[in-house]
Amino acid sequence: MPPIIDEETCTHCGTCVDMCTEDVFFGSEKEQLPQVTYPNECVYCNACVEECPAEGAIYLRLPLPMMLMYKPAR
Amino acid sequence: MTMIEIDKEPIDVDFLIVGGGIAGLMAAIQSAQQSIRVIVAEKANTKRSGSGATGNDHFCCYIPEVHGEDIEPILWEDLHSLHGDFQDETLARLFLEESFDRVKDWDRWGISMKPKGHWDFSGHAYPGRPRIFLKYAGHNQKEVLTREAKKHGAELMNHTIITEVITQDGAVVGAVGMSVKEDRPLVRIFRAKCILLATGSATRLYPTSTPGWMFNIPFCPSCNGSGRAMAYRAGAKLVNMEMPNRHAGPKYLARCGKATWIGVYRDPHGEAIGPFVKRPTKELGDITADVWNTVFTDKFKSGEGPIYIDCTQVAQEDIDYMLWGLVEEGNTAMLDYMAAEGIDVRKHRVEFRQYEPFLIGSRGIEINTRAETNVSGLYAAGDEVGNFRADLSGAAIYGWISGKSAADRAKEIAGFTPVEKMGFVEERIRFYSSILERDSGPTWKEANLALQQIMGDYAGMDVRSETLLNAGLTYLRLLKNKAHDTLTADNAHNLMRCLETLDLMDCGEVIFHAALERKETRAMHKRSDYPFTNPLLSDMFLTICLDDGKPHLEWREKR
Repeated sequence: MPPIIDEETCTHCGTCVDMCTEDVFFGSEKEQLPQVTYPNECVYCNACVEECPAEGAIYLRLPLPMMLMYKPAR
Repeated sequence: MTMIEIDKEPIDVDFLIVGGGIAGLMAAIQSAQQSIRVIVAEKANTKRSGSGATGNDHFCCYIPEVHGEDIEPILWEDLHSLHGDFQDETLARLFLEESFDRVKDWDRWGISMKPKGHWDFSGHAYPGRPRIFLKYAGHNQKEVLTREAKKHGAELMNHTIITEVITQDGAVVGAVGMSVKEDRPLVRIFRAKCILLATGSATRLYPTSTPGWMFNIPFCPSCNGSGRAMAYRAGAKLVNMEMPNRHAGPKYLARCGKATWIGVYRDPHGEAIGPFVKRPTKELGDITADVWNTVFTDKFKSGEGPIYIDCTQVAQEDIDYMLWGLVEEGNTAMLDYMAAEGIDVRKHRVEFRQYEPFLIGSRGIEINTRAETNVSGLYAAGDEVGNFRADLSGAAIYGWISGKSAADRAKEIAGFTPVEKMGFVEERIRFYSSILERDSGPTWKEANLALQQIMGDYAGMDVRSETLLNAGLTYLRLLKNKAHDTLTADNAHNLMRCLETLDLMDCGEVIFHAALERKETRAMHKRSDYPFTNPLLSDMFLTICLDDGKPHLEWREKR
């Protein structure tokens, strides 16, 4: 369920909480590990991943219904 | 129970900007330089909000040193382009005339408009026709515009929604808003001389392509037609609301950026489905889906699908250019996913589909060349304008224009109206409180999904008719009354979503009224009882506004 936060790497800075366009992290406490309160409201925009100052602290896992449909070209 | 909190001290502001997207920030940058107080109320954070949150890579504009001194061929191209339908020519002309100045502004502020060293007009074009989309590197656009707005003194009120525009004698006097940052919503009352509605598109109206996943949409799901709904309730005219618009892109991950892909659309046998390009390049990709908007749906339904984009014939240099464009327009989540799954555009074909309808530009609030609505002091810009559309660049240019117009007006008005004493404000606050105070009842999600199924079935894409539309309108009114009386929320976020859903219902109701009035088939508005396109309506727009509390529909000539 997007996004997934690595507890070891996260610095609890709150940037993702402030930046999320959909308030997925609503209700997170300051200087605490962000909580993914509304995962179904994620739009998979990657803003939290890009804004995060601790590289690798947030990973966006796309739910299975959003799988791309593709096939080999030949 | 979470209780509503009210800030008793009203905020006096010359120019209140509702929405800190591209249009809102451009209006803020322009107007804040004119010695007036400017506040941007933004639902999220202006650095990352709206449809331009993660970037863009194409900016429609007219650059004389590239296109020549004659604007007419460029205007023609714009009016017949991918976004050209349903525009007033006067607005499109002014947009093009001012576009190069804004391009230069953006470049000066730090958004690279010439990332390849020259004015690079590539893609989004027909073979042999002028190219009007400037390729640029917009990945940092919201950050740059936020910085510029702050630099000039605009106050950015993040995590704040505006829920009603307050008018008196046909003019704007203020607004009701709410901070939704904390668990407990904080109501704020604004005494405003001018208001810009710049809340973007209206998504979440129709069922998505992934049932149960309401937020898998190519645009911003928090853009929910609030500006259109507030304008309508305040007496402003809406226009072209009955005309559906649908985007297309990868299946099933709903993303913008269809035209950034450089490839050929092919059927399962490898045959190209359109005549436009054999070997696509960065200058000219396959434009079939723009000419034939329903191609992916049509081919799928006929059994000849699915249709794939095939990038394997594209030169490596142009593949690199395409991947760069996808990054600049903010498609990094999709690219990360593709990399992790081993999906390589040089080896694989990706299926495309058409997404659900939504309201973008050319379906919304009617404005004039000063970005004014018919309500004095009320302005609109960006994706919620109904008689003009140029997507991101349109938002930039008309946001700027609205800033000039509003500042001029604000300087002429001496004082503020004590809106905080109005019964309307008290009534609204009581209503917001009631949603939080109810012990039980439906959540916003129930209401939003119920709205989507009514819109999809009764004002849908396959068929519209008088009987279906009348039935749908009746059902929607029932739903709206029920939602109004029973919705529940347990915090500021869910209260915001409740109010968004009620705004979407207002938009939906307007769509039904206008779709009933348009007794013809045109573009994706398909009436089974009027299966022809009426030439007498070709140069006409359909407007709707509230007159004495009732919808008043009127046809007018294009301007």
